[in-house]
Amino acid sequence: MHLLLSGIGKRFGAVQAVVDADLEIRPGEVLSLLGENGAGKSTLMKLLYGVHRPDAGSITIDGRPMSIDSPRTAVALGIGMVFQQSTLIPALSVRENLVLALGEGRWWIGRRGQALRALDERLQALAPGVDPEAAVAELSLSQLQLVELVKLRLRAARCVVLDEPSAALAPAEAQRLWSLIRALAADGVAVVLITHKLADVRACADRVAVMRAGRVVAQVGAADADDDRIVGWMVGEAPPAVRAPSGSPASRPPRLWIKDVSVGVARGIDLQVRAGEILGLAGISGGGQAELAEAIAGARPIDAGEVILDGELLRAPRRAPSPSSRLGVIPAEPLRNAVAPALSLGVNLALRRFGELPFRVDRAALERQAAQLLERFAVRPADPAAPAGSLSGGNLQKLVAARELSQRPAAVVACYPTMGLDVTATAQVYETLFGLAGDGTAVLWISEDLDDLLHYAHRIAVMFEGRVVRVLDAAQTTAFELGAWMTGLAGPVGRAAAGSSDEVFA
Amino acid sequence: MSRSAVRDALRGLLLFLVLASTFFLLIGRDPVSMFGAILTAAAGSGYAVGESLVRATPILLCALATLVPARLGLISVGAEGQLYAGAIAGTGVMIAWAGPPPLLLPAVVLGGMAGGALWALLPALLRNAAGVNETISTLMLNFVAALAVTWLVYGAWKNPQSQGWPATVEFPDIARLPTLGDSRVHAGLLIALAAAVLLAWLLGRTRWGLGLDVLCSNPRLDSVTSLSLARQVLLTMAVGGTLAGLAGIAEASVVQGRLQSDLAQGAGLSGFLVAWLAGNRVGRTVWIALGVGALLASGDGLQMSERVPSSVTLVVQGLLFVAALGAAAHRDRGTRHV
Amino acid sequence: MSSVDIVLAGLLVSALRSAAPLLLALLGECLTQRVGRINLGLEGQMLVGAVAGYATVAATGSPWLGLAGGAVAGALLSTVFGWLTVAAGANAFASGLAVWMLGLGLSAYLGTAFVGVRIEGFPLWIGGLTPTVALALVLVPLTALWLFRTRSGLRWRAVGESEHSARALGIVPWRVALSGIVVGGLFSGLGGAALSIDITRTWAEGMTAGRGLVAVGLVIVARWNPWLCLPAALLFGLGEALALRLQAADSAVAAHLLHMLPYAVSLLVFTLTCASLRRDPRSGGAPAGLRAVFER
Repeated sequence: MHLLLSGIGKRFGAVQAVVDADLEIRPGEVLSLLGENGAGKSTLMKLLYGVHRPDAGSITIDGRPMSIDSPRTAVALGIGMVFQQSTLIPALSVRENLVLALGEGRWWIGRRGQALRALDERLQALAPGVDPEAAVAELSLSQLQLVELVKLRLRAARCVVLDEPSAALAPAEAQRLWSLIRALAADGVAVVLITHKLADVRACADRVAVMRAGRVVAQVGAADADDDRIVGWMVGEAPPAVRAPSGSPASRPPRLWIKDVSVGVARGIDLQVRAGEILGLAGISGGGQAELAEAIAGARPIDAGEVILDGELLRAPRRAPSPSSRLGVIPAEPLRNAVAPALSLGVNLALRRFGELPFRVDRAALERQAAQLLERFAVRPADPAAPAGSLSGGNLQKLVAARELSQRPAAVVACYPTMGLDVTATAQVYETLFGLAGDGTAVLWISEDLDDLLHYAHRIAVMFEGRVVRVLDAAQTTAFELGAWMTGLAGPVGRAAAGSSDEVFA
Repeated sequence: MSRSAVRDALRGLLLFLVLASTFFLLIGRDPVSMFGAILTAAAGSGYAVGESLVRATPILLCALATLVPARLGLISVGAEGQLYAGAIAGTGVMIAWAGPPPLLLPAVVLGGMAGGALWALLPALLRNAAGVNETISTLMLNFVAALAVTWLVYGAWKNPQSQGWPATVEFPDIARLPTLGDSRVHAGLLIALAAAVLLAWLLGRTRWGLGLDVLCSNPRLDSVTSLSLARQVLLTMAVGGTLAGLAGIAEASVVQGRLQSDLAQGAGLSGFLVAWLAGNRVGRTVWIALGVGALLASGDGLQMSERVPSSVTLVVQGLLFVAALGAAAHRDRGTRHV
Repeated sequence: MSSVDIVLAGLLVSALRSAAPLLLALLGECLTQRVGRINLGLEGQMLVGAVAGYATVAATGSPWLGLAGGAVAGALLSTVFGWLTVAAGANAFASGLAVWMLGLGLSAYLGTAFVGVRIEGFPLWIGGLTPTVALALVLVPLTALWLFRTRSGLRWRAVGESEHSARALGIVPWRVALSGIVVGGLFSGLGGAALSIDITRTWAEGMTAGRGLVAVGLVIVARWNPWLCLPAALLFGLGEALALRLQAADSAVAAHLLHMLPYAVSLLVFTLTCASLRRDPRSGGAPAGLRAVFER
């Protein structure tokens, strides 16, 4: 199936999401669609899939112009899309999801009919090891993607769009995904891979298209463009340089000591973060990093162990957590975890010192006091009376940073702080966070972006299934070594061979 | 009021007028004269105004009883049950009182408040301990409390002199809240209004109210603010229960003179919807409660002047809330106080 | 006959008859919650069903027509809830309560002519059962098989789990949600009519006495499974039947105290269910669309 998008435009309210976009999708080829968050990649593909209707432009399929007004139409035409958030229904079984996906059919499904057995056989052929009776909620992430692709194959899709499929996969699982994608293309399917990671492009793309601010700014063969040119297209200018951490804090005293802490999945975590050090924490999601961050932040009780800050006991089991002005916390998903969306920016900024507020509170006064802080941390729009829920993701994170970091805390716990932010916002958050390290703050930084970790952190601790399996010197390791430890592929053998530059326990 | 709130209100009013007029036409009545008759019966004379205030008082108290937990994000419909519990407690104090007579009234009133507060703590504890959804638990407990009243007035507390209609003995005069002149308007209204003023200040201008707003907007912030969600659940429900309990003992002692079945006459449900429509803002709650009370009080007068059953006002009340809910689109789920 | 004999004789039949109206409403709300909506207006729908059914029998003399009339009335009132929540996007709890209030008022108004009037209901079959009990019992397997084994039932469940995913599959969620609400109205109206035509054979204001609300709570106890609606409704029916029988057996415990039993028991089971759901949200089988109701 050969698709041609010409002059596509789409606006949502005041925002022009896609402007005059041209894109060619060829059969048997993998086209990688790159761009930062908000560049319009997902929107453009959703226009192709009929989720939205374009305001301008045309879509031509195999030479014939088509109007795609709903996902039903797109599916009927043979276009399939695998969204970032799986549209499989977790509570239903794999089989039930596939029956739903196949649309029309007899009104009676029953339990053991012939049609169902035929379906099961095809499922086993394409995705061995997946139990058709199993609820989708029980599948692993890569099994989930497999079933999504099976769904599309069953519908005989001739064009498959994948939206950021490798976002949460470990390196080994990503490899398997890429070979699947190449196999699809080999079958003559036209594949579009939406991503913002260059590694995906290098692994399986034949052609590359880059979007920026709603426009398609480049469409070239993958071999014809090097990484820097691609990033230049994506960002429009040289990416903002963030100062890499300076100095070797190895000789400084530890400020934050996580002493044999167990909480939730995490067991026996023992880490020390020194003054001015950035300790990265990597691991597959669900491995306990988030629980650990919550426990240190005081949002979750500790099961065992202690957290000590500058020699003083901060957290312990059965000890009521109280917010400390010496510890800053920047959680992931600020809207969900750190901010009261209905209340104003000014009030939100005062939340850290809530206990010190007088009994009679003048909210307008809080808002007046907030103006300066908003300026300093470049929160836009800087209206102290506006509800926090109206801010974009990047500005929310800056708001949280303004609240947590303005009193120069002794230590900071940042948990996926740049999740969902674009390059500029990410750079701003890093600037603030790592700038503090330069002033002596101890920073514990949990991230899923291995490249960033390698670039900015001093040391990186890797967690696997609740335990710290390795602590590596960032300057002397690679993404693949980290990935190996993250998926448990490097085991006790590696641990036993601890060299002088690698530490198992701080 | 903000521009969109005014638009919502006008849209709701228009829709209500349409729906109510349609209903009046369906039952063979002229809408204009019906509306006129309702207004006359509600406020056409000093007596009518008095009766409207009497009917509005428990509705206002129940609305406040809904509003306080709602500021925390709880959707409690339990005011009616708390009303009954307060009535039972206060009546029990009256029946069993053996202390000095001047203390009887305060004891009865405090007993009523305590009864309501305790009945409100029950769903609060269930929610804290077991995550029980408070809307459903309070609804069920409403029925338990109402049935408890029926049990008592048919059984242990039955007044041997009341022949066909089971009820308790009448409240002695010294146990009744003072009333205004000849009407049945009683001190409970003053207490309700004073409570409204106090709550408006507490909720809008103190750290406690701010804490409720924070927890309502994002319950995960309890660690940041070192507030305890569980404790505030108990506190807000108890405060609400106190007010509803007061409504109960006031109805029993002054308005109806004794404890009997169907004491509440739907005040709990009306109060919930009043608070909802008011966006959980105290000022608006007062006005809307007075309006709804007037509407329901007009039923008896309407029956005489227009020869329609008083349940017409119940239908009109229902249409009012349906119209208001339907006109205010784009509200987020759960409680909010914009 | 000894007290025990009085209590036990025909207890099951009595419990079934008591449970039938609740079972009908329960099945209806089960389907409504399966499409991800929670309708507290069930009580109002039962009430208009009761009065409409009653009026239809008084007018036509046919109890079957009465049941049909009640079902239609319940369905009509439920469209108000459907309009409020699906079309206008109003909050589900508040809308349900408004519909309940409207149902209370409408049924009281329409019923003024019928207070105290007696009608002839269904003739008794063997063992004291009536056609309404049979109807309710038959609808249990029909509903269950439809929900779990047919394509349309699967579509309804998909909408209840995730409207977003359903839309991606080409389903139109609002149509399914509205259907679920109206079918719930149909069943609950039927249940109300069963109450006034078959059980009490009179009309009185507010006669459903909270059965609709108990039904909403019991759906959770029945784990949103139509099969389990039967034992859940029987639980309530048993409590009621027991109360009546103990009263007849001259028990020392007051009858009115016993009338609290069904509500107290339902609340207890609801509490235990919520507690176990809290520990493991997936064990309950709650449609994901209802998560906002149960996760705090």
